Amino acid sequence: MNLVLLLSPILIPTVGALVLMMLDAFQKEDGGLAMPTALLHFTAAAMALALWQRGVPADTSALHGFLAIDKTSLFLDATIALGGGIASLLAGGYLAEHKLDRGEYYPLIAFSTAGAMLLVSASDMLMLFLGLETMSLGVYAMTGFRRGSPRSAEASLKYFLLGSFAAALMLFGSALLYAITGHTDYAGIAEVLHAAPAVVANDAAMALQFETRAKISILAMLLIVIAMAFKVGAVPFHMWTPDAYEGAPTSTMAYMSSVVKAAAFGAFARVMLAVYGDAASAGSAAGWPAMLAWVAVATMTVGNLVALTQTSVKRMLAYSSIAHAGYVLLGVIAAPREGTGTTAYASVLFYLLAYTVSNMGAVGALILAGRRGAESVSYDDLAGYARRHPAAGFAMTLFLLSLTGVPPTVGFFAKFYVIRATLDAGYTALALIAVVNSAVSAYYYLGVLVKMYMRDPAPGAAIATPMRSGYVTVAILTAAVFVVWMGVMPERWLDLAREAVSAATAAAPAAATAGGTTAP
Amino acid sequence: MNSARHLLSVLIWFPALAGILALFLPRQAPKLLRAYGVGAGLFLFGQSLQLLIGATHSVEGRQFRFVENVAWIPSLGIRYHLGVDGISLWLIVLTTFLTPLTMYVSFGAIRNRQKEYIAALLLLESAMIGAFVSLDLFLFYVFWELMLVPMFLIIGVFGGQNRVYAAVKFFLYTFAGSVFMLVAILYMVAKYKALTGSYSFDYQDLMRLGFPVSTERLLFAAFALAFAIKVPMWPVHTWLPDAHTEAPTGGSMILAAIMLKLGTYGFLRFGMGLFPLASHWIGPTIALLSCLGIIFGALAAWRQYDFKKLIAYSSVSHLGFVMLGLVSRTEAGVSGAILQMVNHGISTGALFLLVGVIYDRRHTRDVAEFGGLAKVMPWYATIFVIVTMSSIGLPGTNGFIGEFLVITGSFTSDLLNWSHHCSGVGADRQCVNSQIGPLFALLAVSGVILGAVYMLDVVQKVFFGPSTNPRNAHLQDLNKREWRAVGPLVAMIFAMGLFPMYFRDRVDPTVRAFLSVYNSKREALGMRRGEEVPYLLDAAAIQPPAHDTPPTVGHPTALRTPTTTRGANTLVALGD
Repeated sequence: MNLVLLLSPILIPTVGALVLMMLDAFQKEDGGLAMPTALLHFTAAAMALALWQRGVPADTSALHGFLAIDKTSLFLDATIALGGGIASLLAGGYLAEHKLDRGEYYPLIAFSTAGAMLLVSASDMLMLFLGLETMSLGVYAMTGFRRGSPRSAEASLKYFLLGSFAAALMLFGSALLYAITGHTDYAGIAEVLHAAPAVVANDAAMALQFETRAKISILAMLLIVIAMAFKVGAVPFHMWTPDAYEGAPTSTMAYMSSVVKAAAFGAFARVMLAVYGDAASAGSAAGWPAMLAWVAVATMTVGNLVALTQTSVKRMLAYSSIAHAGYVLLGVIAAPREGTGTTAYASVLFYLLAYTVSNMGAVGALILAGRRGAESVSYDDLAGYARRHPAAGFAMTLFLLSLTGVPPTVGFFAKFYVIRATLDAGYTALALIAVVNSAVSAYYYLGVLVKMYMRDPAPGAAIATPMRSGYVTVAILTAAVFVVWMGVMPERWLDLAREAVSAATAAAPAAATAGGTTAP
Repeated sequence: MNSARHLLSVLIWFPALAGILALFLPRQAPKLLRAYGVGAGLFLFGQSLQLLIGATHSVEGRQFRFVENVAWIPSLGIRYHLGVDGISLWLIVLTTFLTPLTMYVSFGAIRNRQKEYIAALLLLESAMIGAFVSLDLFLFYVFWELMLVPMFLIIGVFGGQNRVYAAVKFFLYTFAGSVFMLVAILYMVAKYKALTGSYSFDYQDLMRLGFPVSTERLLFAAFALAFAIKVPMWPVHTWLPDAHTEAPTGGSMILAAIMLKLGTYGFLRFGMGLFPLASHWIGPTIALLSCLGIIFGALAAWRQYDFKKLIAYSSVSHLGFVMLGLVSRTEAGVSGAILQMVNHGISTGALFLLVGVIYDRRHTRDVAEFGGLAKVMPWYATIFVIVTMSSIGLPGTNGFIGEFLVITGSFTSDLLNWSHHCSGVGADRQCVNSQIGPLFALLAVSGVILGAVYMLDVVQKVFFGPSTNPRNAHLQDLNKREWRAVGPLVAMIFAMGLFPMYFRDRVDPTVRAFLSVYNSKREALGMRRGEEVPYLLDAAAIQPPAHDTPPTVGHPTALRTPTTTRGANTLVALGD
């Protein structure tokens, strides 16, 4: 197949970003780039789906093993592009309203999206790093986009420093893997790591070498997990998240908390499954799901408990995004399990899509509630909001209910699907902890509803009035359509998610079946 | 109109659509809005009456009727499976009956945001009916959770002073209680998949699952917690007084009359239906808690100065009867419990309505503020006394039949046993089983007396004696709106009190079938008690008996399974 066609989901935002830069350079006034950027993203999403329809060729040797263009990556590409498109629309409304509308924002989004797509398609450590950096650099700049604001600068700096740190760890891990295997591509690494202990059992020197290799492999795995945990905002590597989210312009926060998270999780799941998915290989893959289980528990619990104490909705959403990362981790943990792993992996993809639309919608509704100079960020700002503006209040309610996991929204279904996968894999305790957390989370989401519907603004306080912006309205409507559609008729979407991973598991090395039985 | 084929879908989706549509009606035309809301409710009530056709003494009575069963999410084994039987029949009719009444009477007090109120009530009705007719556990859970949001808004937006606290407490209590149920459902489905190779959330499929004793108890506990909170059983009832007190009249009515019944309904259908062994094991404890609920609820009600709190605690007491009837697992007890659910819906609905009437006039619910109202508002006093009689179970009103059957059922139950003086271990374990049903019956009877005490006490204080408070001197008697709303309720009080057999005929066949399945499943599970892993039961173990012999008047000793003989005899005697 034509290489350009194969890479088109990634090429569209890349080339588009360059065009956007030109447009920005030659246009006389700022603004007006939101719609082209959104269209660019939606085209990329459509292209990914078109490729999906057409069928991905089995022979992708033209990519030299750097990228895996398969249904998994196409699904994530579409998720990322959809999220990026909605984020561009939100930016169109938000930046204009708050006098931040400088054209460079839009090429940055497009570049980040291209990076995110590279990240989820990467099947090579180098590509993984490249994607990670391409994505992150754009987002660092977008975080500090409110140039006059010290908080925005602080957020950007924090995010940049910790992000670089994570990238360095990732690089270090990759280097260690290269040192012991001589490969940078996932398949090559996995193959060498898997070189069965049986072969070396009779040879003392070989055995020693094997053992050393196993130790280094574990170290590399730890470094990669830590780096990825930074990116997805998992506890205890979540410290940057609330500050970065809160300081960033709200449209950037929408992008960071949805798209970046989806991309990081996509890459995380892929690299862990491809490199360490096989329980029999050196460095005992049996270890990481158990380790991640603790991380998941901590992530859910800390995210939710701290979210309870927030007075700012923006910060609450930041902590809630940490909590949601914990739920997604459950799916990742269950994914290497033989037999039930496929649905677990599918549940991760489904959750990422569901979270992207729900969270985009919630942040969008928050953006809608603020005008120039009176951005709504705290619970108090929203007092009585839904009474004065029923439609805008209802939109916020819908997305928050989805995040809570109340049927018939997609959030319920995504949570349901992940928890089911967790139970299928036999992690009953994890599932219980997840539902308790889900019940806890109801409290702080409900807090917003209470403010919006049942409280009056304090005398003298600013009264939240929705901004008028076609962009934001369209973005919210798009997200709402997905939230309801995927919640009421999930079957088609589940099929897509399952189909996305079935190829991945079918193509997985036969070794996966050899060692699967000893998984925890 | 021949919509019977999709009748249940109509019952679920019509109010939902009507509710959403209501949001688009013009706020400037309140009359249109009100007519629309009540009209939609009445139309649905008319539709629901079709459920009553053809469900009498026939074999059909033991099966689900109006079944709709299509795939919804096939890859997960989730089906859109609806059906109605004698257990849910009257609860659905109760829902459709009370919703328009509630809406109509609320318009007196709720002047603002009527549009949203109508929408919330209709959506709530949709979700409640959905929960009553779902035979797929996933579907049931969806409706179960869906109920929370409109009720949360009704309490929180339209309620009294402390409404936000009450609304949040209500939401969190119920939400937290039900998430464990979700895990239990998923666990069962995972095991079903492991045993059969396919996913299913279907009630009748999952019925076949058997679990090791400890697992079954845990699963049962997860279900029971969700339901016990909803009922609410003592001691997880503390959300109820808050929610009731703060909710607007309409909200209290729906909450007490219907939503609480979902707890008892779920306990019977799912808690007992799916886990007979565990529910048998815990049965006496639940009976004890029910009796404590009956007595403490009544005592607490006696000490209330707030009218609504009083009724709220009386609900705790009345629902204790229902739970006692259910765990007695005799035909009389279970039928009585089901009737008691409906009775309580009607009489408590009416009580909340009447309290709303007086609250609208005086804006206080403090019992001490009133006295001698019978002179000022004679009609109001008359109706109130009638409803009180129904609430305390005077013969001739609906309350009597339910409480009587429950107490009979408990008295004659041979499944409420206290095992003591045990010896031996494992299969050789032998115990002396003492029937303790009569003890519970005794406790429950004392609850009946206490019920009379607190209700008559308040009636005496409010309506008789000297009228000392000048502000009560010129209160208006029932107006037209209130008459129209309370009239049907009073009619139902007498209809159910004087013609109980019409209602029981549609309940009993199902109850017999249910208990027969319950007992055969319990025996089948008991035989395989020692097993360490989940297993599937033969389909035969959970089949209702092929022939259901209805009680024939004049032949009280018609064929019966031994366990229900005594209860059944009582039934027939009453029928005569």
